[in-house]
Amino acid sequence: MKWPALFFIISATLWLLAGTALGLISSYKMHDPNFLGNWEWLTFGRTRSAHLNAVMYGWCNNAIFAVGLWIMARLCRTEIRHLGLLIVAGVFWNIAVTIGIGGIFIGDMTSVEWLEMPTYITPLLAIAYALIGVWGIIAFRYRQSEHIYISQWYILGALFWFPWIYSVAQIMILFEPARGTVQSLTNWWFAHNVLGLWLTPMALAAAYYFIPKVIGRPIHSYYLSILGFWTLALFYNWAGVHHIVGGPVPAWVISSGIVASVMMVIPVIVTAINHHMTAIGHFRQVIESPTLRFVVFGAMSYTLVSFIGSTMSLRSVSEISHFTHLTVGHAHHGVYAFFTMIMFGSIYFILPRLLYREWPSKFLITCHFWFAALGITIMIVTLHVGGWIQGLEMNNPEIPFIEVMKGTVPWLKARTISGFFLAIAHIAFAINVFWIVFFRQGQEDVVGTPTLFSSKQAR
Amino acid sequence: MDWYSYIIIGFILAGLFFASALYAFHWASKNGQFHELEKGASSIFDDEEPLGKQTDFFPGHK
Repeated sequence: MKWPALFFIISATLWLLAGTALGLISSYKMHDPNFLGNWEWLTFGRTRSAHLNAVMYGWCNNAIFAVGLWIMARLCRTEIRHLGLLIVAGVFWNIAVTIGIGGIFIGDMTSVEWLEMPTYITPLLAIAYALIGVWGIIAFRYRQSEHIYISQWYILGALFWFPWIYSVAQIMILFEPARGTVQSLTNWWFAHNVLGLWLTPMALAAAYYFIPKVIGRPIHSYYLSILGFWTLALFYNWAGVHHIVGGPVPAWVISSGIVASVMMVIPVIVTAINHHMTAIGHFRQVIESPTLRFVVFGAMSYTLVSFIGSTMSLRSVSEISHFTHLTVGHAHHGVYAFFTMIMFGSIYFILPRLLYREWPSKFLITCHFWFAALGITIMIVTLHVGGWIQGLEMNNPEIPFIEVMKGTVPWLKARTISGFFLAIAHIAFAINVFWIVFFRQGQEDVVGTPTLFSSKQAR
Repeated sequence: MDWYSYIIIGFILAGLFFASALYAFHWASKNGQFHELEKGASSIFDDEEPLGKQTDFFPGHK
């Protein structure tokens, strides 16, 4: 597992840096539109979409491939086959995303949210993904473990869900576009499920593995975790409609989306109980482990963002929050505070064990954690509060639109500041990653850590 | 083929997908995945990383 995991982690880190830069530029342009205004390829529309896609298909997906496949390999406890497959897939995937982002910059962007990368790269993405999916299935088929741990369920589920939603979306929106609002429904079904049936299960798989693993206690209620998985599978895919509450779509469709969004409370509470009860009484260990700091932060964020999300889907709330910065804040809450923090924690666990080396700098890890935690908290608070105010004001016909927009500017400036904090955090992370990967030749200092490289475990 | 045909095919495939999920659940049940849950929860531990031992620390600390 060493070379593919390394490849994916390094790619993910590079995309993280690129995505952060694009996010910073976009954020700055929102309150200062003339910034970098001379360059056509850096107009807000392009940088914003490039940020979205770089972060999603670049950072998120590469991190998922690294972490999800590593956990899969470990839990299947089998000799790892066909590593070349994964590297080829990874190279194709990253080439495709690079061309895709380039396509956005030169103006070939599709107008579809979360599918902005031009369609000429879709086949390459599909091939790359197919190879990865095939690897996942082969690893599972040859597993040596009798029991299928909950993380494996989540990873396998995600591996099946993603190609399904991506293919349907590509076909029904871009290849042979459906009529009118069906496109919109498909779009948000896809976009929401990318978060809920791809990012979420992979992050939960990591949390369900690392929290018990690092603490040294099994999950509090395994039965609950199975319940959580199947209720997620049942409810999540209906929820996507909550992005267009109030839209020109039949009321029953909207209502089903709201119901499903609220029903999601069940798997979320289940997961929260499990993680909390497993970690309770062991908080000292959470502090002592870099992995757990990030993973527990992520797990707690999951509970919060999901409750906020369920609330946002209600008609009365959506009436205010829709089309405001609150949605953006919520999105970052989920993708960053939940998913990305868990991925950071996972990488802090995986990389030393792949390389037989310890992380070079404790200071950088601490720096990374605090700047990220602070940054994302500021971003979430400013966007939620600013967005809510924006929504209330927009619903008030007395207030001219331009005044509402001017009112959002301080919040947006605060968001840019939070973006700088995140950038610092990511630079700290990237330095540590490149340091441990490229500059620790000959310093095999695993004294004091348990050996984890028996033939039984995947490396 | 117009989009309508694609959506019909989509529905059929979605039905198959759903059926496979039902099958997966059924298989798991038959295979005994839902028995001995305590043992399942502990399956991530083994001799090298036994139950009760913390397995991750900041560099330089133990």
